[in-house]
Amino acid sequence: MKRLRFFSVPYLAWMLIFIAVPTLILIMLAFSDYSLYYPSRFEITWVNFQIFSQSYMSKAIIYSFGLSIITTLICFVIGYPVAYYLANLPEKTRKIWLALLIVPLWANMLLRIFAWEKIFTPLSIFTDLSGLSLDLLGTNTGIVIGMVGMYLPFMIFPLFSVLERMDYSLVEAAKDLGATDLNVFFKVIFPMSLGGIVSGVIMTMLPAMTSFVLPARIGLGRINLIGNIIESKFMKEVMGSGGLSINVGSLISLMLMLFSVISFVIITRFDKEGETLI
Amino acid sequence: MKRRKQRILMAKAMGVILTVMTFLILYVPILLILMLSLNDSARGYQWEGFTLKWYAMLFLDDIMKDPIVNTISIAILSTIISTILGTIFAIGIHALEKKRRVRMMVMNNVPVVNPDIVTGISLMIIFSILSFTLGFSTVLIAHVFFSIPYVILNIIPKLKRLDPNLYEAGLDLGCSRIEAVWRVIIPNISTGILTGALMAFTMSIDDFVITYFTSGNEYMNVSTWLYAALAREGRNSFTPVAYAYNTIIFLLTIIIIVFVNTRKERKVRTHEKSTSFTP
Repeated sequence: MKRLRFFSVPYLAWMLIFIAVPTLILIMLAFSDYSLYYPSRFEITWVNFQIFSQSYMSKAIIYSFGLSIITTLICFVIGYPVAYYLANLPEKTRKIWLALLIVPLWANMLLRIFAWEKIFTPLSIFTDLSGLSLDLLGTNTGIVIGMVGMYLPFMIFPLFSVLERMDYSLVEAAKDLGATDLNVFFKVIFPMSLGGIVSGVIMTMLPAMTSFVLPARIGLGRINLIGNIIESKFMKEVMGSGGLSINVGSLISLMLMLFSVISFVIITRFDKEGETLI
Repeated sequence: MKRRKQRILMAKAMGVILTVMTFLILYVPILLILMLSLNDSARGYQWEGFTLKWYAMLFLDDIMKDPIVNTISIAILSTIISTILGTIFAIGIHALEKKRRVRMMVMNNVPVVNPDIVTGISLMIIFSILSFTLGFSTVLIAHVFFSIPYVILNIIPKLKRLDPNLYEAGLDLGCSRIEAVWRVIIPNISTGILTGALMAFTMSIDDFVITYFTSGNEYMNVSTWLYAALAREGRNSFTPVAYAYNTIIFLLTIIIIVFVNTRKERKVRTHEKSTSFTP
C-alpha cells in the first residue's frame, strides 16, 4: 500500500493553507498595527495588549474560565456514571441509548438555545406546558444549565467509548485478588478510562469557554465571555479600538488558540490518533 | 455481604437517576421546539392552541426560502466533496509509515479540537488575504474544511482492520493502482465512508459559528438567518416557521440515520453468515 502515500500530499498542502497560514497571520495581526483592509501600514507594536488592562476583558476571562470549569465539573459528575451505566448495558439496548444521546445534537443549536431562553423565562410557554416557572435569564446558573444541556453529550461519548472497550476481566481479577469496590474503581477502572476523561473534559470545556451565542442570549448580554468579545471585535466594531479592533480580536483569538494547543498536547499524549474524538 | 449488595443497588439506582436526568436536560429543549412549531402563536410566549399553519407556511411561503435553500445546498455539496476528498486522504495517510501517520493525524485533529470560533476566524482571515468575496464559495470551502477531519477519523479505523495484502493481491491480479483502490479498498471501508458522510452532513446542516464568520453580509444559512432575526428585537422578523423547519430536518435526519444503520446491520449480519464457515 506504500504506493498510495502520495494521496496524503494534497491534504498536507490543504492543511498548511487553512491552519498554518492563518495562524501566522493572526500572530502578525496581534503584534502589529497591520490592517487587513489597508495593507500599507505595518509596524510592530504592543498596543493591542492594552485590551488586557480593560476591566471588561479581565471579567470576560474570569467568567469564561469560571463558568466553563463549573460546567465541565457538572458534566463529568453526571457524565461518568451515565457513561459507565450505558457501557454496561446489554449490547443491543446500549446502541439504542447511545443513539438517543446523539439525536438531540441534530436539532439546530440556535433554536435549542432559544428554547432554553423560553424555559428560563418565568411566564412562558414552558410554564403553560409544564407548570414550572423558572427565572434564570441573565444569571450564571442559567448559563451553566444551558451549557450542560449543550455539551454534556461531548463528555459522555469519549467516556463511553473507553469504558465500552475496557477489559472487564481485569476488574474481575482485581476483585478475586481481594480489592474492595472502591479500590477496584480508583486503581483499575479510573486509570484505564483516563484517555476518555481527558478527551471528554477538553471537548466540553473548550466549546463552553468559547461559546458566544449562549451567553449572549441566556445571559441577556449582561455576562460576556471571551467569545462575545472576539465576535464584537471582528463583526461589530470593525473600525473601533482606534482602527485596531481586528488586531485586538486576533490577539484574543491567539490566546484561545494557546489553550487549544495545550489541550491538544494533552490529548495527543493519551490518544495519538484521536480515536476518542468521534 | 448484605451491605455490599445494598451498595451495588445504590450505585445502580444512581446510574439510572443520572441517566434520566441526562435525557431530560437533552430532550426538554427539543420537545419545546416541537411544541412551539405546533403552537398557534406568532410570538410563542404562551400556548395558544394547536396548529399546523407554520408547516404549511414553510412550503407555501417564501419567508425562509433563501436560507433553507442555501443550507441544504451547502450541506449536500460539502458532504459530497468532503467525503470524496476525505476518503482519498485517509487512504494516503493510512499508507504512510507510523511516525508520519501519527503526525498527519495530529494535524487532522487540529480543527476537531480547535474551538469553532477560532476555526471561523482563521478561515475568515485567510479568505480576506486571498481577497475572496465572502459568500457561497467561502462557506462551501469552510464546510468542506471542517468536515474532512471527521470523515478521515471515521475511515481510518476501517482501514486499520483491512488486510494490506488484499490490495497487493489486487495489483498482482492485474488491477491498476486506482482500480485496486476502487475495487478492493473502497468496498471494504464503505461503512466508514458512510458514517463519515452522515457526520459531515449533520454538522454542515446545523453549523452556525463557522458559517457566521465566513459568509459575509449577504449570504445566510438558516442558523445565521436566525441569529440575525433574534438580534433584531424591535422589528422582529423571527417566525415560528423556523421551528417547523427544524422539526422536519430533525425527523428527516433521524429517518435517514435509522434507515442507513438498519441496512448496515443487515449487511454485517449476512456477511457474518457467509463467512461463518471458516473456523
